[in-house]
Order: sequence, then C-alpha cells, then structure tokens
Amino acid sequence: MLQAVKPKNARSKRALEAREPKLVENEKTTLFLRGTTASAVVQDALGDLHSLKKPQAIKFQKKNAVHPFEDASALEFFSRKNDASLMVFASHSKKRPHNLTFVRFFEYQVLDMVELGLDAESFRKMQDFKNAKAGIGLKPLISFSGAIFENNPVYERMKFMFLDFFRGNTVEEIDVEALQYMISISAADATDEEPNPKIHFRCYMLKTVRSGHKLPRVELEEMGPRMDFKIGRIQEANPDMLKEAMKKPKGQEMRTKKNISVDPMGDKIGRIHVDRQDLGKLQTRKMKGLKKRGRDEVEEEDNANDGSDLEMDDDDIEMGDDSVPVVSPKRARVSAPKKSRVPEELD
Amino acid sequence: MSTEMEVDEPQRLPVTVTKPIPLTYDLAHLTAFDSNPLPPLTPQSLEQTLHSTSRDAAQLLINQILTTVPLTSTQDGVFATLPAPITPLPREKPVPKPKEPTTWEKFAKKKGIAAKAKDGKMVYDEVSGEWVPKWGYKGNNKNGEDDWLVEVDESKQEDVNANPRGLSRAERVERVRKNERQQRKNEKNAAASGASSSSGYKNRRR
Repeated sequence: MLQAVKPKNARSKRALEAREPKLVENEKTTLFLRGTTASAVVQDALGDLHSLKKPQAIKFQKKNAVHPFEDASALEFFSRKNDASLMVFASHSKKRPHNLTFVRFFEYQVLDMVELGLDAESFRKMQDFKNAKAGIGLKPLISFSGAIFENNPVYERMKFMFLDFFRGNTVEEIDVEALQYMISISAADATDEEPNPKIHFRCYMLKTVRSGHKLPRVELEEMGPRMDFKIGRIQEANPDMLKEAMKKPKGQEMRTKKNISVDPMGDKIGRIHVDRQDLGKLQTRKMKGLKKRGRDEVEEEDNANDGSDLEMDDDDIEMGDDSVPVVSPKRARVSAPKKSRVPEELD
Repeated sequence: MSTEMEVDEPQRLPVTVTKPIPLTYDLAHLTAFDSNPLPPLTPQSLEQTLHSTSRDAAQLLINQILTTVPLTSTQDGVFATLPAPITPLPREKPVPKPKEPTTWEKFAKKKGIAAKAKDGKMVYDEVSGEWVPKWGYKGNNKNGEDDWLVEVDESKQEDVNANPRGLSRAERVERVRKNERQQRKNEKNAAASGASSSSGYKNRRR
C-alpha cells in the first residue's frame, strides 16, 4: 500500500490533483502488458489493441511474472502507479494458448476480469490489411450484432466490457468528419454443438458514397485487427464494489422541464394548460343599440358633454354582467386565448 | 445507353436498412445494438456475413446520427451534438465527497452567522490617503511594527527585560501560528470522519 504523498511543489500538486476523483471523469487510461510467456500472435494482438487505444494508453515492454486470476496485486500496483483503470494482459501457455486478459479497475482495485482466448488461425494483424487506417485518438463507432448479447448474461457482460473499453471519452460534440472507423463485435447464437460461440472482433474503415439521397451510403473496408475470441475464465465484480462504481453524482443530471418532451422524430412537443375562457369578457362588435347604460352614466355624460370616446371605453367593461349580448361567434375576437387541453406543438 | 446507366447508378444506392428487430442506439458512445440473430456462419461465408451485418449497422448508426442529433455547421466542419449516455458503465474512481466543514463553519452554521463578503485585498488608509494591502508586503496589519517610538504597555509586558519593540510583531506571528494549528486540526478531523464514513465495499471486506 502506498502512503499518501504530500506534494512538495506546485507541479506535483497539480499532478496529484489530476488523479483525484472527479465529478465528470476523464477518459480511462489503458495499460497493455505481457506475462513471462507470450506468443508472437498475442503480442501482435496486444500491439494492435494498443494502437487502437492510443493516446490514452500505456504499453509496457518488459515481461511481468503475474498470473491475474491467482494474484492481481501486482496489476493493482501498476494501475495505481499509472493511473490506469483498464488493462490488457497478454500471456500464452499450453493450457491457455494466446490469452488476452481484459481487466477493469475501480479505485485502483480489480473490478472484474475476463480471459479471452485468441484464435491464432484467424487472427490478422492491422498491417496485414494494406489500406489507410483511422486517425489516432478518434472515437470509434461501435456495433454489437447478435441476439446472444441480449439474452446470455456472460455475453451481455462482455458487451458492456467491450463498450467500456473502446468508447473513449464522453464528448458533447463530435465532428462528423471524425466518424472514420467502426469496431464491430458480433457473435452467433448458442447452439447445442456450440454452446459458447466465438466473439468476432472486426474493425472497418467507413467510406461514405453519395447516394442521391440526403443521407450518404456507407461502405466498409476492413482495416484490422481481425480477432476471434473464445471466452475463458471470468472474475465477476464484487457487488458492493460495483454498486459503488455505478453511483451517479447528484446534481449532474439534466433537469427535466415539465410538459416539454421530444418525440421519436426529434420534434419538441409542449403541453400547455389554460383556464376556462371567460365569455363575458369577449370583445364583440360594438353596437350602440346593445349598450347598457346606468343612470349615473347618463348623468356623467350630461356633465362632460364632449364624450363620445368615453362611451366607447365603457362599452368593454360593462359587458361582464348577467345580460350577455347576442354574439355572433364568427366575429368574436378572443383577447387572451385561454382554454384548451389539447397539446400544441411549439416548434 | 450504358453510360447513362452508370451515371444513374449512384442515384439508386439504398441508404435504408430494414431489420426484423429495430436496432437500439447509445449515441453518446456512438454505439448500435443489433439484437437480430446473425445469419448462420459457415467458415466460407463468415467474413462476408460479418461485413454485411456490420455495414448495415454502420449505415443505420450513421443515419441515426445524421437525422436525430442536432447538427451545427461551423467553419471547422459539421458538428453533431451527442445526447447523454444511456448505458450505465462503471466509474473509474468514486464520486468525490463534499468537503468536510471546518470547526468555524459548523459553529457559524449553528449560530446563523453568514460569511463575510470578500471585499478584496486592498484597503483605504486614512492616514496616508492611499490604498494599501491588508496583509503581505507593506500590509496594513504590520502598522506600528517599525515605529521609531514604542509605547510600553506595562500590563502586556510579562518579562520586564523583553524588548517592547518586537511585541506587536510577536503577537501577529502568534496569530498566524494559531491559524495554522486550527487548519491542521480541521484537516485531521476531515480525514478521520471521511475514513469512517466512506461507505461501502472496503469496510465490509475487511
């Protein structure tokens, strides 16, 4: 266990602050390392995964005498030292040939581990595909194909693991030009002969072709690496630890505005509630004959003898009484439209 | 005739894909989940099948991004504003805890004392008619420390032989030390309560 270090200067203080828990987290760093024995195939695979994860990735060159499923304390130490919370460990043995162990960490402690056996026959490294590769550090498109990712808990876990591994940083905006490549992860359904089907990992470059429609036609070209994985040992997450890791900080979620929603087409819909319309205040056609005049009003008019416009003003106010005049609804002009429980589209 | 056909051909490339089960998306991670079972994979047709299913997924994902997400075009290019993530994924580190209140903050809250408004470092000095810093270099809290004449206060002078000149400075330094002691104490308390209240998996495991 490392001691809590007190920073001695501003630079190391900043470095330590960068590692502190944050409300909005930075991108997870991935560490790539190998065991004492690692085949050429698995080393190539490790290198290719590293180049997909660059620049938020660190690759170790030396051998490490570690067996993750027996004692992961060395990996936890590496995680803490490098502030890395994802790890890929390459090893090769007679019992488990061409093995890649994917490890996730929470607070520098192992959250979960999955061992994936790489198929050496079907493996093709990135260099085997002679074409342009995606730029470094771009966010990939990811697709998961196959019903097994929904209905098999092991494969579902693998889905979230791969998603967490390759999603990169959470960004608010992305340049459409930066959608350059896609990581496609697919698996066939489990059958009686093949209860644990292989997970096919493919990377494709995206080519958009003008289609004559508004949307482009998308074509794919494989850029590598091509890997087929067989799921090996799995170490599940400690439920308490997972619960702690899944906690969402309070106050981060968007405040939902009442009565405003967005429908599946992306249109904004607002619902407004208005009071019952007061028909008494309805502005109707002004007719002298319909005017109701009290006695004092008549006197007033006599006193201030100039007031034809005064009459017009009184007209509106006096309508509110029990004697509602005959109104032709077509001509009625509603001053403030107020009653309807019908949703109206805002935009 | 044939050239016309070739010209027309790009006009007819389909951009829509229909799947029995519609795909679900998590656009914050640019991800599409296709829960349709894959067509049967034979060693000969494996790459072809994977390629075509991936192409369909890519097309649908691009369609989804370009149609449902607000796009803004700037000089640097067209930017898509991505929604908040849907898929829950574990954090790297725990949610940061709020800072532990200091002894003074607890007391002030109990008594209902509002924090003083910060009014800057400079203060107007009536005597010199200038704005001077409250503390620090040429600070106002050092007033009278280097006067050429010092009044001896018998009540404060505990040691008769002590130099009365340094007394006000000694008082100020002692105030600074006291504040540092209080800061250390607060840090210690915060660390202790933080360690005890850190809920969860660690305490239960040990």
